[in-house]
Amino acid sequence: MFRFFSACRKETLILVRDLAGLIILFIMPMIMVVILALVQEQGWNSITKDPSIPVLLVDEDQDTLGAKIEDGLRNSNIFRICKTLDGKKLTREITKEKVGKGDYNIGVIIPKGSTTIIRHKVQVMVTQIVSGIMMPVDNPFLDIQSNDSINILIYFDPGIKGTFKYAFMATMKEYSMFIESSMIFSSLNTELKRMFPQYKPPKMNYKETVYFSEIFPAGKDELAIPSTTQHNVPAWALFAMFFIVIPMSSSMIKEREEGSMIRMFTLPVSYLTIFMAKVSVYAVVCVIQFILMMLAGRYLLPLARIAPLTIGSNYLGIFIMMVISSMAALGFAIAVGTIARTHQQAAAFGSVSVVVLTALGGLWVPVYLMPQVMRNIATWSPLNWAHVGFIDLFLRQATIIDIFPQLAKLLIFFAVTISVALFYRRVNSPLNN
Amino acid sequence: MTGKVIIEITDLFKIYKGSDEPAIKGISLDIFQGEIFGLLGPNGAGKTTTISILCGLFHPSRGNARIDGMDIRSNRDDIKKIIGVVPQDVALYPTLTAWENLTFFGNMYGLRGNRLRKKIAEGFAVFGLEKHADKKIINCSGGIKRRINLIAGLLHDPKVIFLDEPTVGIDVQSRVVILEYLKELNRKGTTVIYTSHYMEEAEKLCTRVAIIDRGTVISIGNPRELLAEHPEFKDLENIFLHLTGKDLRD
Repeated sequence: MFRFFSACRKETLILVRDLAGLIILFIMPMIMVVILALVQEQGWNSITKDPSIPVLLVDEDQDTLGAKIEDGLRNSNIFRICKTLDGKKLTREITKEKVGKGDYNIGVIIPKGSTTIIRHKVQVMVTQIVSGIMMPVDNPFLDIQSNDSINILIYFDPGIKGTFKYAFMATMKEYSMFIESSMIFSSLNTELKRMFPQYKPPKMNYKETVYFSEIFPAGKDELAIPSTTQHNVPAWALFAMFFIVIPMSSSMIKEREEGSMIRMFTLPVSYLTIFMAKVSVYAVVCVIQFILMMLAGRYLLPLARIAPLTIGSNYLGIFIMMVISSMAALGFAIAVGTIARTHQQAAAFGSVSVVVLTALGGLWVPVYLMPQVMRNIATWSPLNWAHVGFIDLFLRQATIIDIFPQLAKLLIFFAVTISVALFYRRVNSPLNN
Repeated sequence: MTGKVIIEITDLFKIYKGSDEPAIKGISLDIFQGEIFGLLGPNGAGKTTTISILCGLFHPSRGNARIDGMDIRSNRDDIKKIIGVVPQDVALYPTLTAWENLTFFGNMYGLRGNRLRKKIAEGFAVFGLEKHADKKIINCSGGIKRRINLIAGLLHDPKVIFLDEPTVGIDVQSRVVILEYLKELNRKGTTVIYTSHYMEEAEKLCTRVAIIDRGTVISIGNPRELLAEHPEFKDLENIFLHLTGKDLRD
């Protein structure tokens, strides 16, 4: 056993001596998680405190509808309204041209007379309601038709994401519905006042009565509001963890090139002992790296006004998940390090394969947003298993039994990759040269 | 030379995967306990292949060998305990210090504690390396690396030592120290098997030499006996050139 500990000590010393490499291993992933969380916060969640997406607005209406839509967009804290460009008032043509060229993502044209049309429709509707009360039989007002409609033009940059387009359309529809409801309410009051002079309309604005709260029970004492942080931090932490393939395989190839591996084969010690010592030391590196990234998610992201990471309360489960995920990452790294003959092969194959497994695993784009075929493929990525495990632990109060399927799959992946490495080494051993 | 045969090589044959030409073709020889045995030959003659097979790095394609009565095919792990290997290339961890490297390799041989510390200190004292103990290998000169490389293979007092060109690329002083130490070890009963291109060195050091060329042993014996067999040549180098020819090798 002391041979194993001695090999662990040797691996640790080699790692610690490469201070720059160690800093890269620990600090770079933290920087990555913060930067990617910042970048993706707006793109995915569209919840931001700073109005940043410019919208070209041409308000030909110059009445209530135009004013309300402008207020709504402005108050959403997502959009920045532009009504002039270079000191010139925007027109339909300029807006179409600018969005068409991709200079701006969205342009909104509110046609002239929009509010008048709404008013007219509301007026007809209210009249029909009120007259229905006064003249329940032979009511001539019921035959009045108002078929006018308003067509608000919205120009979208063809490069804009589909999900974002739908979100914007939904927001616009919400505003117009709200405006129409307010007008009906106001018009009804006016009509009632006209009919019943003693009627006093309430001095209040129409307000929504149905609200939606997004609440997700995570731990006993805390409530987690689902955010991009909850997806991104474990996702990027796992991405970084699997990138251990580069230093690990590089270390293995270096040992072969430096000749120290040849000496190892002449020593009375099993290759498995040396192998497991390497795995153990790098597993500790992976776990520390993951913890640092969790801490970044918890304490650094809020400094950038991004929701902090919530990790639930199953700390033992999280620790086990971290260790098993690390083993899966290291198994993959050992397989690559064993099979690759040069640093270039290991670096190119290792990095590209991790990126592919990350993308397939739904770490960049959540699996539920993928087409069905990709969703099926995602279930074969070890990064997906690990990510699902962490999300279950962080957000769904999962127990160790709940995450057992993920743990089992990751362990099988570790066993398979290690077996591949050992088999390859046996077949290609210098002994059989 | 008579005595106990410690290494018995029988019809050893090796052809590497993908190669048309065998690296060694049926080498047979006995090495006796307490010998300093030199394997001499031009580049590509088969010296390193022979040593590598004996150390357990390669399986022979045909034939067999026994070390201290143990079969190299079936007793590889036991053989590793009684042999010391000093590879041709410096096989040390560059970012570890000399002391750390030797502690690690000593541990792998099963040594630890005071015994190991004493062995390392002895090695440093013999080779004048005390002040380099805490120096990283990457910062050491070629001669120092060679000496540490040598100590790493000797820490466990092996019965048999294999040295593959241990004096290549080092200064005269380092070479003298290494050769003196090998003689000292041999006086204590250690069998030394050594490959070299330096004929003069082999002539002075070895009790017997085998000249290998193109995978076969073309001459074997005590350097003095070889000189007696070829009175027309005044030294081993000329006998070597006579036997192996002057053609350049790959």
